[in-house]
Amino acid sequence: MIKVQNVDKTFDGFQALHNLDLNVKKGSIYGLVGTNGAGKTTLIKHVTGILKQDEGSIFIEDAPVYENLEIKQRMGYIPDDLYFFASYNLKESAGFYKSIYPRWSSERYAQMVKQFELDEKRKLSRFSKGMQKQAAFILTMSSMPDYLILDEPIDGLDPIIRKLVWKYVVEDVAEREMTVLVSSHNLREMEGICDSIGILNKGKMMIERDLDELKSDIHKIQVAFRDPKEDPYAGLNVLHRESRGTVDLLIIRNRKELVEKIISESNPVVFDLLPLSLEEIFIYELGGGDSEIEGIIF
Amino acid sequence: MFQLDLKSRASIYEQIVDNIKELIIADVLSAEEKLPSVRELSKTLTVNPNTIQKAYRELEYQGFIYTVSGLGTFVSAAADKEVDAKRVGEVTEELKRSIRELRFLGLPQEQVSMLLKDLLEERGDLG
Repeated sequence: MIKVQNVDKTFDGFQALHNLDLNVKKGSIYGLVGTNGAGKTTLIKHVTGILKQDEGSIFIEDAPVYENLEIKQRMGYIPDDLYFFASYNLKESAGFYKSIYPRWSSERYAQMVKQFELDEKRKLSRFSKGMQKQAAFILTMSSMPDYLILDEPIDGLDPIIRKLVWKYVVEDVAEREMTVLVSSHNLREMEGICDSIGILNKGKMMIERDLDELKSDIHKIQVAFRDPKEDPYAGLNVLHRESRGTVDLLIIRNRKELVEKIISESNPVVFDLLPLSLEEIFIYELGGGDSEIEGIIF
Repeated sequence: MFQLDLKSRASIYEQIVDNIKELIIADVLSAEEKLPSVRELSKTLTVNPNTIQKAYRELEYQGFIYTVSGLGTFVSAAADKEVDAKRVGEVTEELKRSIRELRFLGLPQEQVSMLLKDLLEERGDLG
């Protein structure tokens, strides 16, 4: 379990994190999303104990994470900007990881190298960007972490390798109850893999919820009435409304049952109710206030 | 067992519930048959095990499956299913809409009722 409470962090007068909370349950896959510069990487560097917060607390299994060797031995972290020893190849790096991580599995390492078809003898600096990511993933997953922290993990990977990466992640969550915190801009892929979502904006946690609950709370509806009432949407929390001819397009934040009940009272001739994708929720929550951005969305 | 559509608006959780329900209704998964464990299904589909767990819980709640601790999850016998009034209402609505559309497309009433009769006879054994 990862618990971040009221964390503040300022760099040279710029406040990167504001009173931030984050909760990741054991065995959960938690997706951290947010605009560029929202503080995702900064937050991840705090959770991994690389940076120290100015205020607040960061606990993993009820122990502070900063300078906590015991926790770090059970934590795998793949940063966005990878780092390898300059002259090392994959095999030499594996030897180094083995000396650091007590739970290193040589068996898993051998299996993954075979499956990802990487050349163990070639210098890592000669690998392409995507191959370096794969190498980092193999090394991290072979250390058998209880906590896996991934910053933009699928960036630059081809679809086949992405599938393989998720297969390993899901397997370890299912088999060993590994806890995963992952940040990404690929919201469609996040939607397929995560059970919880945290939306970060300007260093603050805007929304933190179970993904399915988040999705069951906001809907897009398309509706038309033969003889419209004065206000057929009374009692609904309408976030956005637009008319296209006689058809109204609305974004409503209410439970499906309530939306259906209120709309059907006015006998609609057309009534379609669609859940929003995570991408749409993201854009709506973070870009909704800006009329120009809004023009792109709807 | 089945395919998930990541592009669909329906969530993975709903898709799993619907897919398993369909397999049970079509008798591909028959009564008392053992379902794959959460772990197995999670690995086959590359889906978060928590999502599968939740889908199984919902199917259990709706009476389609049951779990015996230590043994696994099984398909319920049709007779054990409780009638879910809300779902019956929804399906009836869907059916009405489809029949209205068939009429609108110009299908005569007799043909629609023939169609319904055929459908009922086809699966009459489920009664």
